Amino acid sequence: MNLHEEANQAHLRHVTRRHFLRTCTTGLGAMALASLAGCAPTPDTAVRRAMQRDVTDPLALHPPHFAPKAKRVIFLHMAGAPSQLELFDYKPTLARLDGERCPDSLLEGKRFAFIRGVPKMLGPQATFRQHGQSGAWVSNHLPHLATMVDDVAFLKAMYTDEFNHAPAQLLVHTGSARLGRPSMGSWVTYGLGTENENLPAFVVLLSGGVAPDAGASVYGSGFLPTVYQGVQCRSKGDPVLFLSDPDGLSRDLRRRSIEAINRINAHQHQEVGDPEILTRIAQYEMAFRMQTSVPEAMDINDEPDYIHTMYGTAPGETSFANNCLLARRLVERGVRFVQLFHWGWDSHGAGASEALNAGFLDRCHETDRPVTALLKDLKQRGLLDETLVVWGGEFGRTPMLENRTGLDNPYVGRDHHSDVFTIWIAGGGVKAGITHGETDEIGYTGVSGRVHIHDLQATILHLLGFDHERLTYPFQGRAFRLTDVHGKVVREILA
Amino acid sequence: MPKRILQTTGLLAALLAMLWVGCADGDEVDFNHDIRPILNERCVVCHGGIKRQGDLSLLFRVDAMQPAESGKQAVVPGNPGTSELLRRVSHHDPDERMPQEGPPLNAEEISKFRRWIAQGAPWADHWAYVSPTEPERPAVSDPAWPRNGLDYFILARLDQENLAPSPRADCPTLVRRVSLDLIGLPPTPEQVASVCDDSSSARYETFVDSLLASPRYGERWAAMWLDLARYADSKGYEKDIPRTIWRFRDWVIDAFNQDMPFDQFTIEQLAGDLLPDPTEAQLIATAFHRNTMTNTEGGTDDEEFRVAAVIDRVNTTWEVWQGTSFACTQCHGHPYDPFRHEDYYASFAFFNNTADWDQDNERPTLPLFPEGNEAEGLALLDEIEAIEKRMIEIASTPEMEEARRAWEGQLDDPQVVGKVLGTRQNEVRRIAQTPEAERDDAQRAHIRYIYAEIVEDEQMDALRQERRAKQIALRDIKPILTPVMKEVPPTQRRTTHVFERGNFLLRTEAVEPGVPASMPPLPDDAPRNRLGLSQWLVSPDHPLTARVMVNRFWEQLFGIGIVETLEDFGTRGLPPSHPELLDWLALQFMHEHQWSVKALLKQIVTSATYQQASSVTPEVLERDPRNRLLARGPRFRLAAEQIRDQALAVSGLLSDEMFGPSVMPPQPPGLWQNPYSGARWQTSDGQDRYRRGLYTYWRRTVPYPSMVTFDSPSREFCVSRRVRTNTPLQALVTLNDPAFVEAAQALARRMLDETAIGDDPVPVEDWLTTGYKLALARDPSAETLFPLRTLYDEAAQHYASSPDDAAAMTGQSTNPELAALTVVANAILNLDGFVMKE
Repeated sequence: MNLHEEANQAHLRHVTRRHFLRTCTTGLGAMALASLAGCAPTPDTAVRRAMQRDVTDPLALHPPHFAPKAKRVIFLHMAGAPSQLELFDYKPTLARLDGERCPDSLLEGKRFAFIRGVPKMLGPQATFRQHGQSGAWVSNHLPHLATMVDDVAFLKAMYTDEFNHAPAQLLVHTGSARLGRPSMGSWVTYGLGTENENLPAFVVLLSGGVAPDAGASVYGSGFLPTVYQGVQCRSKGDPVLFLSDPDGLSRDLRRRSIEAINRINAHQHQEVGDPEILTRIAQYEMAFRMQTSVPEAMDINDEPDYIHTMYGTAPGETSFANNCLLARRLVERGVRFVQLFHWGWDSHGAGASEALNAGFLDRCHETDRPVTALLKDLKQRGLLDETLVVWGGEFGRTPMLENRTGLDNPYVGRDHHSDVFTIWIAGGGVKAGITHGETDEIGYTGVSGRVHIHDLQATILHLLGFDHERLTYPFQGRAFRLTDVHGKVVREILA
Repeated sequence: MPKRILQTTGLLAALLAMLWVGCADGDEVDFNHDIRPILNERCVVCHGGIKRQGDLSLLFRVDAMQPAESGKQAVVPGNPGTSELLRRVSHHDPDERMPQEGPPLNAEEISKFRRWIAQGAPWADHWAYVSPTEPERPAVSDPAWPRNGLDYFILARLDQENLAPSPRADCPTLVRRVSLDLIGLPPTPEQVASVCDDSSSARYETFVDSLLASPRYGERWAAMWLDLARYADSKGYEKDIPRTIWRFRDWVIDAFNQDMPFDQFTIEQLAGDLLPDPTEAQLIATAFHRNTMTNTEGGTDDEEFRVAAVIDRVNTTWEVWQGTSFACTQCHGHPYDPFRHEDYYASFAFFNNTADWDQDNERPTLPLFPEGNEAEGLALLDEIEAIEKRMIEIASTPEMEEARRAWEGQLDDPQVVGKVLGTRQNEVRRIAQTPEAERDDAQRAHIRYIYAEIVEDEQMDALRQERRAKQIALRDIKPILTPVMKEVPPTQRRTTHVFERGNFLLRTEAVEPGVPASMPPLPDDAPRNRLGLSQWLVSPDHPLTARVMVNRFWEQLFGIGIVETLEDFGTRGLPPSHPELLDWLALQFMHEHQWSVKALLKQIVTSATYQQASSVTPEVLERDPRNRLLARGPRFRLAAEQIRDQALAVSGLLSDEMFGPSVMPPQPPGLWQNPYSGARWQTSDGQDRYRRGLYTYWRRTVPYPSMVTFDSPSREFCVSRRVRTNTPLQALVTLNDPAFVEAAQALARRMLDETAIGDDPVPVEDWLTTGYKLALARDPSAETLFPLRTLYDEAAQHYASSPDDAAAMTGQSTNPELAALTVVANAILNLDGFVMKE
């Protein structure tokens, strides 16, 4: 049975269960009915589709438009935008031009965040070598990942519309540079539902000590119901806010109190007939189960030593490595979308923490081993075939040196650059061991195989079984979608 | 199985009838009813406001009657035979046939087109763009049922559907409902008793009056308005640093409490600064549109985000007052509604000449000085202004102008451009690249201003130093600076251009302020500024404003609007469930109530419709699951603020302190982690921990967690409707959030303290009854009391042997009874009946 049939069957089981519930309680699934009217100027199909979601069970499994290649996503966002020129995009010509004045032709009509006037070119701050069967270029800063290049597809001519962090991150995750749109994880959980109702369907894990620039909006549900928003799971304190019972309340008393609440609510339902009460009863039961299942999923103490060695994890810390291992545990348990953010890639060179010759190297070191371990671990468990792993920042960095103050500075850095950057993607349905897209001699812009953020989104949705133009939701009078009015599936990277 | 099909068919028929009465198949074809839906659904995607394939648009009649690219005329009134539209939709060749996408039109649809064209192809405006007219009071089956005018419309519709209204809700339930609705707080047991001892209509009405007169009333309705105003205590975007704009929130509370007429409420917020001799309050009111976000992220383009703020003002104004999704027209003509691309920028022009421009200091601001420092503060402000005026004078001398031109030519040099302050370099370069003759007044003033700030010149240096000293002196006085709207001086006005595809860098033709041609015109003598616009919005013949507003208040009370899509009254919004009622209420609001919101609310809550019981039978639920017909009273979950306020109120913790800076009640540590921002959550002390939800500090990127969980928006943009979800995370908040646990502890103490001591030595049932009554305003049934009693016994047994647990649960004493009551109180605060308005 392929994934699509599986999803369809799960959906049918769900419908049957709902049908049963409906005959018992009369009248659930209310919204589905409201759209049947024929004569009224009913809104378009998007409204109908949106309204067909069962309001009493919005996370129920749903089949996508066609047979999917992947069932879930792990998105590793390197917040701050890592330099492609120090990691994947090998440019010997740029090395030769190091220290030269940037030609005027590159500056014409461009807006930069911090570069002033005419900057100098900056050669690669790394050494490069080809790796694997595929011969992919990877720099000396990522020795671990270099061993997995044959499982990865590199998109080397990514581009975006935005050159500041917050709007660019929003564009990556919500398809719009302005606030207020649902994030990719929300769209995907809205579209597919969840396989494990005892865990949040869309989990967010942060590391690097700082939240994403655009805040919770990069995993918000926008105008979709909040049930689809990303739930941040934390390594310190409650993994999900307010998960722990109050001090002095035993598990047993909590169970009994929920029983009392639900018994009274069930009686209330008999009296007033509102089906919303049945939903509330179900949600209290689920909350009780989550109190056990979430800490269990988030506790990495039970992992064997070899796993900890492989990832470089240490239980109890807030680290990117721990988050990678958690991502594997979560997808293993059926979580649909896991979103990692690791802050600290904004390598302007204005100070040590954000310099290509200092902080940037720390970021590489922190992430290289766990990212590679995650790929290997998923692969050895047979999960990589049905899980998409995406790695990337929100934009790229300039081939020019950024020197904000014009003064001597021991640190080197590069400014924000929206025209080109590298993203890699691996897993279910992706052609492994390929490089798509090329940049010019100095890595300033893509010359072939350019892929816009909306194209990447269309491709991810395609791999999950969606036509990105049909996964829509009605809001403010029109059907909105993740890719706005753009997006083209990158067929070249499909397996 | 056959029975099931029959049932479904019957249901379908009922729904069809319900949503659109009289889908007649007679000869007369109604454009809005029969034709526009087909055009919208099947045609305008390609022949509309965005795409005009074959040079044909079917949005405006004039366009449909013009020869298209082919030279043929789509619609020839009175002549179906020569109308190209009809030929193409009925063509046998799929290559010729329209629409190209999807199935062909069916015979009935084609017949509608034929008859419509034969009848002269009359075009009609969408209902919402036609001014309401006084509907006739409909006849009803039971003239004794209506309590006021609105009930006739509801009952007449129920009569058509063969549904009967529900009986009046029982008195305690009704008292709780109206109290939560009007002041956002539950009634006290004493209030319930005072109304329900004699549950006459007179007692109820007196109670309604007392609620409307309560200062709590303004707080409740401000909470609704603040979603529309996108009020927040932070500036948004990356750093999302604090903003001081709470005086606007207080203005809104005051305005509702004073029942400021809605037309005045509108004018003061949109244009208070343009009124003659505006008061301080009228200036504060204009902060409505200073709730737009300010981007303080390093390296951003200030002009880009100034434009973003203006765009937000346009979109918000149209959404709040017009229920119109105008945002579409930012990039292109409206896809479905009669608004053109230029209309957007004509609206934009009203808002494009305020003095704010995405600066971190949020100028212009209105200062409020601490008592005793007013004179000093005002003097300093005057002096700073004088210095800046002097700086501009110097920068305008011919020598300086010459030097500036030379400087403009050197902006490629990092040494030179590096001195351009902060984030202004992109705008400065754009202006420098524009030939001087082509710059508008604003650009000329802007670059001169920037130059004055950075030029190395002895005289300027001295002035800047002097200014700096005064700014420090001013800062030391600690004035409260509220961002307000202020027009730029006439010499610095910006010219508004249409932006190609909404991109602010692609300016095309210049436009003047104006309103869409499809709406009533601006009066000739109306000023072409925000004041003129706001007066136009509340003019009596305006078709939208009053309808949009009564619909908003209706939705707050009934959970769903007469027009469900509060934010979209256009052709893609949903049609009204009771079109005549909507018009009647809109006219009442404007004329009978003279825009008094209190009078409107009173009219609604004293209606028979509102006072119905909310319980529902399976049959009615099947017929009308979402209560569109109102054969029963409203029943839905309380809003985020109300959930919090109610728990604090029934436990006796709620502070009744009003106004002032926002407060920071406890929240879990580690939530605020914005990059490049040092802002910290500093938990408030004392009473400020227990203030109403609307005073809680609202940071856009990290809103208060329990509020977001209960569906409050981030306030980054105007939100008309909060979607109501029902999730396990909400259960976790009310079960475990320390704020709710504290409320349970306090409620448990009240259960002990406020129960009269009877003969029974352990009056457990009495304690439980006290708690339930405090929380839900009514007596518990035996079926409710029994599970609570069981829970109490189990808990009491546990705590008798575990004093440490008892102390933790009560937060103080090891008394096992109090600990057990705390567990019960926690359960009561989680009952469906508690979080719902019933």
